[in-house]
Amino acid sequence: MSDGLLVDPLALREEVKAKYRAVAVNPHGSYHFHTGRPLAQRLGYDEVVVAALPDSAVEAFAGVGNPFSLDVLKPGEHVVDLGSGGGFDCFVASGQVGLKGFVVGIDMTEEMLGRSRATAMAMGLDNVEFRQGVIEDLPIEDGSADVVISNGVINLCADKRRVFGEVMRVLKPGGRLQFADIANGKEIPAGALRNIDLWTD
Amino acid sequence: MLEQSGFVDVRIGPPVDTFGDASGESKARLFEVFGYAFLAYKPK
Repeated sequence: MSDGLLVDPLALREEVKAKYRAVAVNPHGSYHFHTGRPLAQRLGYDEVVVAALPDSAVEAFAGVGNPFSLDVLKPGEHVVDLGSGGGFDCFVASGQVGLKGFVVGIDMTEEMLGRSRATAMAMGLDNVEFRQGVIEDLPIEDGSADVVISNGVINLCADKRRVFGEVMRVLKPGGRLQFADIANGKEIPAGALRNIDLWTD
Repeated sequence: MLEQSGFVDVRIGPPVDTFGDASGESKARLFEVFGYAFLAYKPK
């Protein structure tokens, strides 16, 4: 890649779309990662909060950690979720920020957006909205967010510096980024890093 | 990379065995892949 990236960002994006489109349509399918309520329990989410959510809010959850483990959201905060998927973290965030707060989930997959929007409507939530977009070019106003959250999504972007630049743009001064993602303890061979299939399998 | 992007007061939580008992576990073990929580602030 001439721009210093390991893989073609657009090709990787299409692979990621295909993977998470499948999860949206068939959340109980066979994947290389856990999904749903068992995953939320494994990652240490508040069991009472998760139990109160309908299955449609949890079953397509495919995060890798708990973005609320180092800090919780405060009532009234405005939150942006990068790669909101089926909306699970947005629904958890919705409860934390309350009616005076607001949560915007960003996702690029029509199937995930359809799922999350339908669930929000069924739950009667007025403080959650889902927008279509990519996290390298967020459909969010400058300096409008108190908090940006994300879960297992940034690692799937080829240009992470651009993502963090976008997070910096949309956060208010003093705002915070609290997210969960994977990291490797052993070095991954360069050849593997340039293999798009290995990014999503 | 967070600090290079301008974030401050970066904190990282303990590792979580995200892929344990999943079909991706063997590959995750090979490269010691775990999930982590991160917290970072935009300067005031």
